[in-house]
Amino acid sequence: MRLSWVELRDFRNHRETRLDVPDGVVVAVGPNGEGKTNLLEGMHYLLDLASPRVGSDLPLVRHGAQSGYVRGEVETMGGRVLVEVEVRAAGANRVQVNRSPVRRKRDLRGRVRGVFAGPDDLAIGQGDPDRRRRFVDEAVAALWPARDTLPRAYEKALRQRNRLLRDWEGAPGQAPAAIEAWDAELVETGSALTRARAEAVARIRPPAAEEFLALTRHELRVSYRPSVPVDPSAPDGLEPGRVEEAFRGRLAERRGDELVRRSTLVGPHRDELELSLRDLTVRAFASHGESWAAAIALRLGLSSAVAEALGEPPVTFLDDPFSALDPERRHRLEGRLAGRGQVVVSVADEGQVPASAAAVWDVRGGVVTPRAGGEGRRAVQ
Amino acid sequence: MYEGPIQDLVDELSRLPGIGPKSAQRLAFHIVKADPREARRLAEAIIQAKERVAFCRECGNVAEGDLCRICRDPGRDPTTLCVVEEPKDVVAMEKAGVLKGRYHVLGGAISPLDGIGPEDLRVKELLDRVEQDGVTEVIVATNPNLEGNATAMYVAALLKPAGIRVTRLASGLPVGGDLEYADEVTLGQALEGRREI
Repeated sequence: MRLSWVELRDFRNHRETRLDVPDGVVVAVGPNGEGKTNLLEGMHYLLDLASPRVGSDLPLVRHGAQSGYVRGEVETMGGRVLVEVEVRAAGANRVQVNRSPVRRKRDLRGRVRGVFAGPDDLAIGQGDPDRRRRFVDEAVAALWPARDTLPRAYEKALRQRNRLLRDWEGAPGQAPAAIEAWDAELVETGSALTRARAEAVARIRPPAAEEFLALTRHELRVSYRPSVPVDPSAPDGLEPGRVEEAFRGRLAERRGDELVRRSTLVGPHRDELELSLRDLTVRAFASHGESWAAAIALRLGLSSAVAEALGEPPVTFLDDPFSALDPERRHRLEGRLAGRGQVVVSVADEGQVPASAAAVWDVRGGVVTPRAGGEGRRAVQ
Repeated sequence: MYEGPIQDLVDELSRLPGIGPKSAQRLAFHIVKADPREARRLAEAIIQAKERVAFCRECGNVAEGDLCRICRDPGRDPTTLCVVEEPKDVVAMEKAGVLKGRYHVLGGAISPLDGIGPEDLRVKELLDRVEQDGVTEVIVATNPNLEGNATAMYVAALLKPAGIRVTRLASGLPVGGDLEYADEVTLGQALEGRREI
């Protein structure tokens, strides 16, 4: 799919930006703090209705404005999708798809898809396990928008059950009343999440490993280690009922410990996504550059997995992908950007503009100026 | 923030469910600015409701006397009980007019985060009624959310050993809905609860 044009008004530092966007690799170039990332963020917002950078929408509205506006059109195999969003500093946003209001993000995400990689993704390799679980959940939502409710549903069940255990004032060794009811909720929501995560990782693993190999000439191992004792790689490991049964079994084993520690000790909140290269975990041993290579490989892998699931590539956004890479790897990454549909890249350094770019935009103070066509570049007005 | 009576009113209003500090402030100033008769009517309505409306001793629904309208109705089958969370759920079910049995209002759902355990609900009253009235089927109509499901599970675990038929309202696709907009959980449950045609 392809974003054919985009318009940002009072969005971050963009007062009024309107751009036609060609297919292929599009590059926004400019010094730090001039609005390149904001431009990518705005374009991605049209596809996802959420910022990849911040949890709240308040910072998206240009300082001093009441609302920011993002509009644009996406060409997909299923037809054109016109998306118009009013991002409000206070109150709920207004979203229209093909001129009709939509209530849920999922209703748009089912039709268009974007994958965003940015500097925050360094934490996927280097941060806490929680950051890796979040990546997997983002992948689940990107692959199957209808499943984006699973993490929240599980978290709610978990919080209820944890509170029950924490506030329980019964005799030692005795279980709180209604614990079985919460066990059942935990198992139901948790098993659905475990299955979704396992399936998402299985789809991302091959393309992510391929990207990493192309980039670094090394192998990246990606494995999902669920807290519930199931083997996600076994052919029947995720059969209906199998995860639930394993979950219930492990809960029963840990019941005593849970009553002592007053907290839920089994479930997807303790999953791990293991990333390792040369048999060493990325978190403990990888350099800055290698962690970034792993992060970008995972995001490009996700983009490929979404393309495969959808039958057409999503729009891929790479915010400052080259800075952390050596010249050799930079060159290899450039080579990986072609042939994956529309890829919007930001770079701070003129020297990092890929020769294959279909368009180059200069970004200064929230104003975007498309460059006139040159070597290998198509003109955009 | 304010002084004396107006702050007291804001405080009282903001304790109501669904009313945040801002709404409370708006309501308080509306009341203060309103015609004194209007304020008096509101106060009177609150007092009357509190004094005259009681809860049915059988089912826990709102009632004007000892028993609610439904429990007084001899035409309602006492052997089928529909368990709901709140009196407003009774109203919703009655609007549909499809239940021939009676109700039992629990007064909420189990939610440890809100400090609500089974002992805070009318669960014991339910068990007593089931035993005394020769109830054969209990339809659990708690909300199809996390807390409602956990409550349903808890109630079912208590009743089933006594040989009572315990059923749960079906979850699935809304009538007139669109398949493509259904989320996975709903679709999964709709598939599980499918029936032959």
